[in-house]
Amino acid sequence: MKPLLFITAAALIAGACNKLTENPSSVIVSSQFYKTPADAVAAVNAVYSTLNSDPAGDFVIYGRNLNLLTGNGSDDQVFSPSNTNPDVRALGTATYVASNDRVKKNWQQHYYGISRANVAIDQISKMTIDTTLRNRLVREAKFIRALLYFNIVRFWGDAPLVLHDPTSVDADKAKIARSPKDSVYAQIVSDLTDATHLPASYGGADLGRATSGAAHALLAKVYVTRQWWQQAQNELLLVLTAGTYSGATGTYGYALYDNYLDAFQKPTKNGKEHVFSVQFESNLGAKNSTQSLSSTNFSSFNPAVYPGDIPADHLYELFDSTDTRRAVTFFTTLYNAATGQTVNFGAPRFAKFIDYSLSPLTNQAQSGINFPVIRYADLLLLYAEVQNELSGGPTPDAYKAINRVRNRAHVPDLTAGLGQQAFREAVFLERRKEFIQEGMRWFDLVRRGGTVLVDALHALPAKSAASAKDTLFPIPQAEIDLNPALTQNKGWEQ
Amino acid sequence: MKKRFLAGWCISMLAPFVLSAQSSPPPIINATLTGSVVDSKTGNQLEGATVHIKGTTHEVITDGKGHFSFRTGQKLPFTLEVNYIGYQPLEITVNESPVQLKLQESQSQLNEVVIVGYGSQRKSDITGAVASVSKNLLSQPTASFDNLLQGTVPGVAVTQSSGQPGGTATIRVRGGNSISFGNDPLYVIDGFIVYNNNAYANTGASNGAGVNALSTINPSDIESIEILKDASATAIYGSRGANGVVIITTRRGKKGSNEVNYSTYVGRQSVRKKLGLLNASQWATLVNDINKSDGKPASYSDSAIAALGVGSDWQNAPLKNATIQNHELSFSGGDDKSRYLISGNYFNQGGNVVNTGFKRYAARINYERNISERLKVSTNIFGSQSNEDKLYGSPYNSINFNGAYSNLLQTSPVAKIYNADGSYNTTSPFSSTPTNPLLDIIATTNESNLTRVLGSISGEYKITNDLVLKITGGADLLNVKQNYYAPSTTGSPAGSSSGYAASGYASVGTSNAVTWINENTLTYDHQFNHKHFVTVLAGYTTQFQKDESAVASAQKFPNDLTSFNNLNYASTAVLSSSDGHRSTINSFLGRINYSFNHKYNITLSERADGSSRLGANNRWGFFPSVGLSWNISQEDFFVPASRIISNLKLRLSAGRTGNSEVPPYSSLAALTPTNYYFGGALVTGIAPLQLANPDLKWETTTQYNAGADIGLFRNRVNISADVYYKKTSDLLLNVPFPLYTGYSSVLENVGSVSNKGVEFSISSDNIKNKQLTWRTTALFAANQNKILNIGPDTRYYYPVAPTGQVSPVIVQVGLPVGTFWGYSTNGLLTAEDISKGAPMLNGVSQQVGDRKYVDYDKNGVINTADKHNLGSAQPKFTYGLTNSISYKNFDLSFFFQGSYGNKIFNLLQQKLEIPTLSLNASSTLLDRYSATNPNGKLPKATNSPVPQVTDRYIESGSYLKLKNLSLGYTFSKGIIQAIHAKQLRLYVSAQNLITWTKYSGYDPEVNFYEGDNTKQGIDYGIYPSTRTFLAGLNISF
Repeated sequence: MKPLLFITAAALIAGACNKLTENPSSVIVSSQFYKTPADAVAAVNAVYSTLNSDPAGDFVIYGRNLNLLTGNGSDDQVFSPSNTNPDVRALGTATYVASNDRVKKNWQQHYYGISRANVAIDQISKMTIDTTLRNRLVREAKFIRALLYFNIVRFWGDAPLVLHDPTSVDADKAKIARSPKDSVYAQIVSDLTDATHLPASYGGADLGRATSGAAHALLAKVYVTRQWWQQAQNELLLVLTAGTYSGATGTYGYALYDNYLDAFQKPTKNGKEHVFSVQFESNLGAKNSTQSLSSTNFSSFNPAVYPGDIPADHLYELFDSTDTRRAVTFFTTLYNAATGQTVNFGAPRFAKFIDYSLSPLTNQAQSGINFPVIRYADLLLLYAEVQNELSGGPTPDAYKAINRVRNRAHVPDLTAGLGQQAFREAVFLERRKEFIQEGMRWFDLVRRGGTVLVDALHALPAKSAASAKDTLFPIPQAEIDLNPALTQNKGWEQ
Repeated sequence: MKKRFLAGWCISMLAPFVLSAQSSPPPIINATLTGSVVDSKTGNQLEGATVHIKGTTHEVITDGKGHFSFRTGQKLPFTLEVNYIGYQPLEITVNESPVQLKLQESQSQLNEVVIVGYGSQRKSDITGAVASVSKNLLSQPTASFDNLLQGTVPGVAVTQSSGQPGGTATIRVRGGNSISFGNDPLYVIDGFIVYNNNAYANTGASNGAGVNALSTINPSDIESIEILKDASATAIYGSRGANGVVIITTRRGKKGSNEVNYSTYVGRQSVRKKLGLLNASQWATLVNDINKSDGKPASYSDSAIAALGVGSDWQNAPLKNATIQNHELSFSGGDDKSRYLISGNYFNQGGNVVNTGFKRYAARINYERNISERLKVSTNIFGSQSNEDKLYGSPYNSINFNGAYSNLLQTSPVAKIYNADGSYNTTSPFSSTPTNPLLDIIATTNESNLTRVLGSISGEYKITNDLVLKITGGADLLNVKQNYYAPSTTGSPAGSSSGYAASGYASVGTSNAVTWINENTLTYDHQFNHKHFVTVLAGYTTQFQKDESAVASAQKFPNDLTSFNNLNYASTAVLSSSDGHRSTINSFLGRINYSFNHKYNITLSERADGSSRLGANNRWGFFPSVGLSWNISQEDFFVPASRIISNLKLRLSAGRTGNSEVPPYSSLAALTPTNYYFGGALVTGIAPLQLANPDLKWETTTQYNAGADIGLFRNRVNISADVYYKKTSDLLLNVPFPLYTGYSSVLENVGSVSNKGVEFSISSDNIKNKQLTWRTTALFAANQNKILNIGPDTRYYYPVAPTGQVSPVIVQVGLPVGTFWGYSTNGLLTAEDISKGAPMLNGVSQQVGDRKYVDYDKNGVINTADKHNLGSAQPKFTYGLTNSISYKNFDLSFFFQGSYGNKIFNLLQQKLEIPTLSLNASSTLLDRYSATNPNGKLPKATNSPVPQVTDRYIESGSYLKLKNLSLGYTFSKGIIQAIHAKQLRLYVSAQNLITWTKYSGYDPEVNFYEGDNTKQGIDYGIYPSTRTFLAGLNISF
């Protein structure tokens, strides 16, 4: 009997110990978090990380997916033979449909970042921590939220305006309609206005966070897009370095690098030209880098292997041979240190996001190049554009600004005495050359309105299918299927 | 009928009853012995019974009148053994001649005892659908016992994931209930519950095919396997019973003898099939054709093409013949109070691809002792160490495509494998890094070392003669260490880059999963008036599970000398990771079995399970069942029919079972870490991963079953048939959620799936006499799976597709899970089609010689709306056929197994039919459209056209395999007595000898995504399957 009693006792003890409540040790649960300053910082870090990572391991917004819409969707790029994903290829041939997976992925990734910003803003606002830190963190999150909504409203127009985390898994409660474009812009302006109270700069360990300068600059881009020229000028003057242009009061120390290449290289990241950049470092993972923009495939030094993105015909020819941007933006030959040979690729390939600090050069999976979201050159060209619009033609400051960008690239001054329209064209041509692969082209074509985008696309034989509907991307079909309250953009209805 | 746990071994001992020796009269010598054999009840004379004098070679068969006669010089008395099909064997001592021998009709095999959940039951009293794997199929050589279920029990579908030794298989009992989670059956090994989770065998350090955690268990230890299929049988396992229960009983010692047994087999394996690929000159011609389409000059001149010749055969380069061997030594025996079995096993299966294989060392001790009349203690302890060397592939469970073998297939035949000096050529102009895919396979370390100890101790105490308390405590410890090294000379995966790019990449991972179980049951077993048989079971069980894992990786090694063994030599660390989970299930269970005279039987069972994995509001689930059976053949009115129909039993059951196989913490608002950089330094971010769902509850399967067991001609033919309907509701489903919320899906209990089907098995003793026996068993099972509902607003969704791919499958209401979705094609576009304005596919240039797609919705344009149902990975039916023949000392068996109506998405072929300037392609491209081949079947060569999911790549996966053919010889007593052996059998056998199929890939048994329910039947390039010839020996002393 004794062993039996012993076993019984042991069994009962074992049984009594097993509670059904989960106390996870490997996972942090929401109710345990959002308490300390470190928690608040981590919550905001997570907002930034949506710019350079994807929860499902997909390609990231800045570094690949955004460019599929702004690059492949524009006249800068055509599809590459290596685009075996039909959805990628369809973007390069203007034949994409509402169920396009890459359009959906962009939508999802943008809203994913917004969701994390919403959580950070709501949770941190409730926390009792140092007010300065709390305000700063909330404003950083608002900056990112505004940046993402700005992309959304330009890609899709009216959009669901989500500002808080869902409270339950009940999908019905999450079903909302699209908010008018104006409401989305109002929220963007409101968030950015708050973000202009961010610090002007950070210490080394925080380099790369959103600054007040970035907020003003983004606000200026928003106003330019809306063609609110005066407000745009006001914001630009706050960031253009004091003394360089009449009325400029900026104390951020922004300036252009002497060498265009430095704007994209690892040793010069987060420098004077960078107003806001998405941060990348080696070892984050091949997809979590900007390498896809040049693509690993070039590393074979085999012209028969195509990278993911290839330039549209004649893009290379836009540049004068003296323009230093051409050799930074493209390569036609590449030196292979391993063999000591220079390989001729025949047609130009994109080169802007090649990390030349890597050895061997083929190791681009380790690329640590940032993605520049706003560069000072952008602000200069915006200022030239705004001056031209406000004054009915180019002002001396407008010429000064565009020539600053041209001269840096060893391009001579723009022909003096241009009329408003000719100057406008000159600015947009300059923008095109300056910002290849920097997520600008499609936006720049669309914001000019009319048939500018469609005309530009029709100039390429591969994109003859483009039509007026392409000035907005379709709301992902799966979202409409799930939530009939969402309407489809014109021309995209299935 | 005593209720005994784990008493499977004694099944065979129960039937014969031995007459105890009587006080014998003085011996007389009799030259003849005559007599007759009759039915004890009816007195009918029995023709064809064998009468054998024990201990001699004298044996006769009764004639048409049941008579027999011996001429023998033996002295009376002697012992006769009488056997006749459908009757209980008789052993009797005779003192006189003539004798009349009365045989009792066996109540079919109704007196057999069948192991069921938490006990055993007379076969006659069973109300549920329970099937056993036949003994002779249990002895097939295999690395893992789950393979033994294939084709041996109706309603159990087993699909090997690949030919990788030690690889996984997908096992489904009566179809899959769940869309997202856990469709594997529950295993109960000697009473110990094991839910097999192969994820515990994968730490993340390794990559490629999954590791089969069940391969840690030595199949030759197994005495019997029973499959519980319907709710009446499985509901006692409540929340874990929904997918069927596989009850495994290991061998035990037998009373009264000490036996030493050695068995072994050694064999040779070779690759069953190779794919047709282009050779070098054919490939160069293809490249020229691509260039032509692009308006570019040819890359190869005619003389260059001729000079290339056949080029390199990359597919063949890593293949070799491999050996397989198994050795098993066991000691068993017992006395009145103790029984023991000690066994040791060594199994080694070489891979047909270099640098792969599977090895196992295993040992077992089963011991039980009656400490007193009332108390019995027993233990079953099993330990094993196994090692699997795998082909590298994409990371475990990754959606990406990056397999060693498929890389090899795609390597250009123009590239040389070896340099002139015999070293590996790494300078192919067609690969993205200076590597060699053969060297990648040879030089990459990708090993998994599994250690498993599964042990339980139990005590059984008879409180009264009818009431038994049983307490069991046990633990299952699974420890995995995985080692991975991609040398700097390889293109093998290294994190997200390659060994070359990373300058050497090492990763080591360890995982430790522990399950503790305590089960306490009370069993009351009584018969009243010899008519009412009652068994009542009540119990409380608790199970605690804990798993912990860690992975560390590093890259940039100065050289490859230390491999994975010393990460400190690396100059760059990769972020380490660790993880851990705990979960608990507490249960109350009860069951009442009542039988009236073994004629009318009822089983009522109920289990209440509480699982920590579910939402705080819904942790407990209740799983009742009821089963009825009626032995019609026991009724008096049935007697006239009993000459033909010797046994007839009807069964009916209904009940509910559950499934809670969601990962721990699924109901909580968990946060996830992410990374970002500020100032060039890594910072951690923390953000929501999922929304909390405190209402998360059980997936519930309600199942109805009706069955009949029929015995014909004195049970010479036994038929069992079942029909069932299962409806699984409250599916644990990751339901699509509006993406603008920031969550792509939420885990909810939504929707339902049904499975309905029929199962049929027949076994027949075609011939049974002294010289020759021939037994045939045939199985057939058909299951129809259908998605009934996946939420109020969702009619369909596409499971996550591999990056860069369009999902080839759809989850849609009204269709089975795992339905392929794509375009139909109709040859190639002709000039006439184009002039008529044939509908064109969006996004792809369409010219003469391009693929012509069917405009399914007839709207004049080919777009995603034209995709439609191209068939499902689920078979319409599966079947098996076994024949066992023994003639004198020879035995021959052949086992066929097949599947019909399942489709396979041949993704590898799709990839191999993309013409490119750098990758090799399938030889089917030889028949491409061109000016010189206007009737070609494949589109004209263009550079990297977008692959589409089309009916061309959805192939029939139907097959019939001659799975096992074996021929054995058992030595006669005289010979083996000379070497003091009790038994000696030699055999030769062939596995996977012939496959009849139309499938063009390596093997129609393929699951690249392994257990992923929605991605079954996808062939994305797997380890080729093998054919094995082996010879073996069993000897016991």
